[in-house]
Amino acid sequence: MPQRRQRQPLSLVPLLALSLLVGPSGLSAQSSPNTGDAIVVSSIGDASRLLPILVSDASSGEIAGLLFNGLLKYNERLEIVGDLAESWTVSEDGLTMTFRLRPNIRWHDGAALTAEDVRFTYQKLIDPSVRTPFSSNYELIESVEVVDPLTIRVRYKEPFAPALESWMMGIIPKHLLEGQDLNTTPLLRRPIGHGPYRFVRWKTGELIELAANPDYFEHRPFIDRYLYRIIPDTATQFLELMTGGIDLSSLTPLQYRRQTDTPFVRRAYQKFRYPSFGFTYLGYNLQDARFRDVRVRQAINRAIDKQAIVEGVLYGLGEVATGPYPKASWAYDPAVQPEPYDLERAAALLAEAGWADRDGDGWLDKDGRPFRFTILTNQGNDVRRQVAELVQQQLKRLGIDVKIKVIEWSTFVHEFIDKRRFEAVLLGWSLARDPDLYDIFHSSKTKEGEYNFVGYASPEVDALLVQGRRTFDQQARARIYHDVHRRLYQDQPYTFLFVGDALPIVASRFRNVHTSPAGIGYNFIDWYAPPQEQRYKRLAP
Amino acid sequence: MTAYLVRRLLALIPVLFWITVISFGVIKLAPGKPTDAAMAFNPKVSLEARQRMEQLYGLDQPVAMQYAKWLGRVVRLDFGRSFLDDRPVGRKIVERLPVTLTINLCSLLLVLFIAVPLGVRAAVRPGGAFDRWTTVFVFTGYATPSFWLALLCLAFFGVQLRWLPISGLHALDYESFPLIRQWLDTAWHLILPVTIAAFGGLAGVSRYMRSSMTEVLTQDYIRTARAKGLPERRVLFHHGLRNALLPIITILGLSLPDLIGGSVIAETIFSIPGMGRLFYEAVMARDYPVVMALVTVGAVLTMLGNLLADVAYAFADPRIRVGGQS
Repeated sequence: MPQRRQRQPLSLVPLLALSLLVGPSGLSAQSSPNTGDAIVVSSIGDASRLLPILVSDASSGEIAGLLFNGLLKYNERLEIVGDLAESWTVSEDGLTMTFRLRPNIRWHDGAALTAEDVRFTYQKLIDPSVRTPFSSNYELIESVEVVDPLTIRVRYKEPFAPALESWMMGIIPKHLLEGQDLNTTPLLRRPIGHGPYRFVRWKTGELIELAANPDYFEHRPFIDRYLYRIIPDTATQFLELMTGGIDLSSLTPLQYRRQTDTPFVRRAYQKFRYPSFGFTYLGYNLQDARFRDVRVRQAINRAIDKQAIVEGVLYGLGEVATGPYPKASWAYDPAVQPEPYDLERAAALLAEAGWADRDGDGWLDKDGRPFRFTILTNQGNDVRRQVAELVQQQLKRLGIDVKIKVIEWSTFVHEFIDKRRFEAVLLGWSLARDPDLYDIFHSSKTKEGEYNFVGYASPEVDALLVQGRRTFDQQARARIYHDVHRRLYQDQPYTFLFVGDALPIVASRFRNVHTSPAGIGYNFIDWYAPPQEQRYKRLAP
Repeated sequence: MTAYLVRRLLALIPVLFWITVISFGVIKLAPGKPTDAAMAFNPKVSLEARQRMEQLYGLDQPVAMQYAKWLGRVVRLDFGRSFLDDRPVGRKIVERLPVTLTINLCSLLLVLFIAVPLGVRAAVRPGGAFDRWTTVFVFTGYATPSFWLALLCLAFFGVQLRWLPISGLHALDYESFPLIRQWLDTAWHLILPVTIAAFGGLAGVSRYMRSSMTEVLTQDYIRTARAKGLPERRVLFHHGLRNALLPIITILGLSLPDLIGGSVIAETIFSIPGMGRLFYEAVMARDYPVVMALVTVGAVLTMLGNLLADVAYAFADPRIRVGGQS
């Protein structure tokens, strides 16, 4: 019989009894975590390859992240800590890193994980026949050497601080993959890892199922099963939420503020909110004579009311940005204060730069030509389109005539960004946790297909970015990146607009879910559902 | 007849060839590359890494060369491997085919089951109340955007009443069910997708049926049958319907390629991993091997469908049988 999902009528009596138990005086009733239950997670896309070094999409990354660990990881405060590595050292000159593995880590098939697996992973990452997108992160390595079964030593050609982050790459099993073509190995679809969950099954386009790994080296995850459902339509995902069909999903600002305010959702779910690791910006083509003048960029920065954008487009679920880092990052310089929204000051700056309404038509002009430019943005992102419209209205008040063009992603990248055929773009970057911005702002990264497409060139920032890559001490790095942050805000190669909030929603039966600078997933293995609230029965193992 | 068939089949080959040439050209003209999804706009992926990846997939070769290689493989019935996950394209298609076939066959049967009687009944008194109301009904179905109707039905039957599931093909613990329950579970999940697909298809078949039946009912042999004093049922169904069904055979033949082509919109809304989504995702990711395989299979089926319709027609209608029969 098809089973109808039961709507659970909440009778008051057990509810009251429960609140007496857990009430203010009932601290002792804070039950210890227990195992059982399943969590149903929804995703708009299916995974494609489940070996960490070949992962090239978010879904594969999410699943592979539960099956494989790296040598290092970020903790909830975004500090680098050991994961498979029990300890590690970086030599004085920054050229040698030595990792000491935890003993007794086993692959899901029972074999021991050793330094040989780490070296194998490295060899495959730099093997030109392996279709990994990550090879460039390992180019500076001179050698990787197995000292003993639990110790591995990596030598670099030059000191490279972001390299630590590159050792968060999941380690792959040598004993199963040696001699195989990694691009087509069956392990891409039936991976064997060593992480908190092990692979159970994958029904293409439908479902991926994982089960708790009882031998996980931290402790067995409390939630028995992890079910990753592929629901490509966001409206359908939302309907599933409304019936309690999924346990973990993320909301849009509109859903967070308005559409989830029903008694059912309030009862069945807990909503979270924390700044995401990414920002939305207006980038200028600095080859354009008008934008080459820093006063023009500063004027536009002052004439855009970012708070109004955050309120209008994100329903307040975001924060005005002054630079590329979220506030929680140690690279963020709290001393950089956003310039107040000030049309008069903006107009004065533009007048200094020679822009004034000489012919009285309402638009600024210079040398007989009105100030008119087009903002390009990509199709399929409503937030960006709406932001562009607000910027258009706001700059109109200053006398700048803005047009908006929305373009399909591939065309946008190859025909407009790569070929520098734009005046201004409205885009966003989501960034890694390491604050290195060499690829985005260093003046050498301006070739077709590279990411300093605005053409920013500042000798000071160049020097800082290079220095930041060579410095390992976090405090020293923080000083460097604070400086980068400040200079970027002064120079305005981008006008930083806002950092949006991540808005996850989790079924309320799961306990131990907390926000942190790193988000909510950092302690996933500690989440649990109390026995009386569990929803999915335990299956025979 | 055999000679005719062979001639027709041979004539398909050049058509197929040009279809593949044009498709290959079109997909290559579309901006973007298969490596974009994974690598474009990711500052952690260097330009050199991207170029090397393009080489590994043979994308740095001239288009004509890429086509020749593709053709060389296809004549040996090897569609290559998907750029997206490196799995054989044939397997990816076979994996998706059963779902799409099931949904399309069910909805086609449902359409015939409803539309044929509607058309016949309407033809008995063209312009009558029944005719007019069914016209309104079937054209409402034809004109209603299916994604909108699907979402409304989901919100009503799924969220409000909780009678039907929202998405997917199976319950989460489907694997642990006994066989009968597995069947029921699948059927329960298919109710909405099939019904909504069928609703849109009613108009075509019922209108064809109505006009063909109307025409047949004006024929002399119908008047003769009535004059003989045959009961009206027998006149309608034995003498009328059998002749009026001929155009439906053509429609069925032509709908052969539709059977394997899934609706992207319906499959996306109902989270069904079918052929429509496979094709759509392949196009978006510029997964050339998958796109080309699906285009080729679709073209072959379309042409076979046409041929099948002609042949079936010849069998059903002695008047257009080809050549001197022996």
